[in-house]
Amino acid sequence: MSLVAVGLSHHTSPVETRERLGFPAHTLPGALLQLSKRLDKAGTVILSTCNRVEIYAHYAGEAESARNEIRAFLSEWHKLPVEEFKDALYEHEGRDAVGHLFRVASGLDSLVIGETQILGQVHDAYIAAQTEQTADKVIHNLFQSAFTVAKQIRSQTAVGEGKVSVSSVAVDLAASIFGDLTGKAVMVIGSGEMGELTLKSLVTHGVKSVIVVNRHPERAQALAAQYNGEALPFETLSDHLHRADIIISTTAAPRTILHADHFHHALKSRQQAPLLVIDIAVPRDVDADVGELDNVYLYNIDDLEQVVNENIEVRRREIEQCLAIAERGVDQFMHWMGSLIVAPTITSMAKELEIIRERETQKTLASLPDLTEKQRYEIEYLTKRIVNNILKRPMTEIKHEVGHHDPGTVVHLVKRLFGIEESM
Amino acid sequence: MVVALHIAFYLGSLLYVCAGALSMTYLWRGDARVLRYGIWMVWGGTAALLAMFAIRGILYGRIPLTSLSDSLSLFLIMSGTLMVFITRRDNVSTLLSFYLAPLAAVGLVNAVIAHRYLTEAPMLLQRAPLVVHVGLAFLAYSLFFAAGMTSAAYLCHMSHLKHHRTTWLTRRMPSLQELDTTLSRLLLYAYPLFVLTLAQGLVWAWIDPSPLGPQWWLAPKVLLSFVMVLFYACAVHLRFAGMLRGPKLSYLVLFGFAVLLILYIGLSLLGLRGYHFWSEQA
Repeated sequence: MSLVAVGLSHHTSPVETRERLGFPAHTLPGALLQLSKRLDKAGTVILSTCNRVEIYAHYAGEAESARNEIRAFLSEWHKLPVEEFKDALYEHEGRDAVGHLFRVASGLDSLVIGETQILGQVHDAYIAAQTEQTADKVIHNLFQSAFTVAKQIRSQTAVGEGKVSVSSVAVDLAASIFGDLTGKAVMVIGSGEMGELTLKSLVTHGVKSVIVVNRHPERAQALAAQYNGEALPFETLSDHLHRADIIISTTAAPRTILHADHFHHALKSRQQAPLLVIDIAVPRDVDADVGELDNVYLYNIDDLEQVVNENIEVRRREIEQCLAIAERGVDQFMHWMGSLIVAPTITSMAKELEIIRERETQKTLASLPDLTEKQRYEIEYLTKRIVNNILKRPMTEIKHEVGHHDPGTVVHLVKRLFGIEESM
Repeated sequence: MVVALHIAFYLGSLLYVCAGALSMTYLWRGDARVLRYGIWMVWGGTAALLAMFAIRGILYGRIPLTSLSDSLSLFLIMSGTLMVFITRRDNVSTLLSFYLAPLAAVGLVNAVIAHRYLTEAPMLLQRAPLVVHVGLAFLAYSLFFAAGMTSAAYLCHMSHLKHHRTTWLTRRMPSLQELDTTLSRLLLYAYPLFVLTLAQGLVWAWIDPSPLGPQWWLAPKVLLSFVMVLFYACAVHLRFAGMLRGPKLSYLVLFGFAVLLILYIGLSLLGLRGYHFWSEQA
């Protein structure tokens, strides 16, 4: 019985290779069924994202043959010679395969460390396998453990805290000031690419009202139309400043266009409600004095990038603790898997001793015909208690040992000690 | 019974100290389980201190409200329960750390300094309205305390955002708007309660001035209380009229809370807490 993980990711291959070996959602059911059939109805899951393609399999035979079959399957399915992608593949088995999945699900193996999208993708891959009935008991437990570990890592460490792109940092800042962004208004001044990206992120997070101000009315209208917003001429900017909770300024103006005076008036109209100003323009659009005003939070591109760098550093610092949590999860899973392997052996061991007990008890009882029913029962009961007590410690120790050593060796030793048939 | 009294008292106070330590650990590490343990400690501390009150009541046959240990314990119970209630929503749960840390200090003072009053018989409360008055006052103080700590949290969070410092604190804090809303709500509940407390005391003293003396209304504590009523009336009006918000409101509330502390502790230390002050001067 073996557990293997074979795949390639952004660490080992360029995007061209990943594209060629990817499994689009509509092809996944067919691929899962074919792979499972190829591996003698083994438990299989295919995880295919833009950054990785991985196959997890719980196979009844040797790990080596499972790996060969998976390579051959990839080659056949994608009609590519193995040589073309062999070097990009990584292959893990047993404990390493489990650890790899736990790291992947927790976002520790992702391009952006600690990102959470991958957990959803792993979940989707597992659901697809369940739907096609290619997820057996071991695969089921493996993925459930991966989800538990990922959640533990997320709740017990800061690896998922703080965003690591300029646009998402802007959303984070807005959330730090306003909490729920639903119903908030955003004003975009200018039409820079970064500004649009930030606007998109904010709208995704619930911002409803969009105001676009531009020197070129047609550009303002084009952007406003995309978000069902309002386009305003540049000359009216200061009259509408108070309507925005978040201002994104991204013009190509050679000098500052917004000064403290503009905001004094806006704040009064807003009854001192807080205002987030994101100045992504270079040279800057907003005078630095604006940041000194009460209830105005001014961030320029350097400030945002500084936040991004700090957040990346925080995530890096957490990795060690995350890996320790993942490792504990691997221990628990391997212990469970070990107990699964030795369960038939333990049953056989108990049966073997029960046969001996039964045989010897009957012999003794046959030589003592004068015993009453109660005495016979007491002797039976005594022998059962003795056997149970003898079995108790070996059973506990076997379960303990398989969590730390190769279950095969432990099982083999137990079988030899108790004379259990090898075929069992 | 006396042993049980001591056990309940020390256990209650120390559980509050532990709750404060756990809430700070949560602020630092962000592990939600730690905060949950902190909340359990608050409930445990509250239960132990309630048991302490019950034992003291049974031991001395009087309502235990007058000693320093009683006051601090009552403050811990009311504040702790109130704060867990205020922060029950996930988006403001971090605020609990700002509340429990100073409560831990109160718990420590209770255990280290106020323990000597534990076995003293409480003063006999001659009038039932006094119990209501003290109860209402403590509830109002607890709300003002929560408002003060919310202001501190607001200023701390605001300062980090203003100076572009993204630390573990900014990542875990509720948004400024949520803090502002919580602060406003606390003022909205604390102010009428404070007015009600004073009004109830005023009516009681007016009807039956004998325990307080003829010039009770000139006592520093009473005068300062009325100044505070006017002060908070201005703050509440300015906030809800939209003229005062954010940092300025927070500074004002912190100032108000400091004055309340002086009112409660400072006057006691200066010997100006009694209602007979002017009668004695005369």
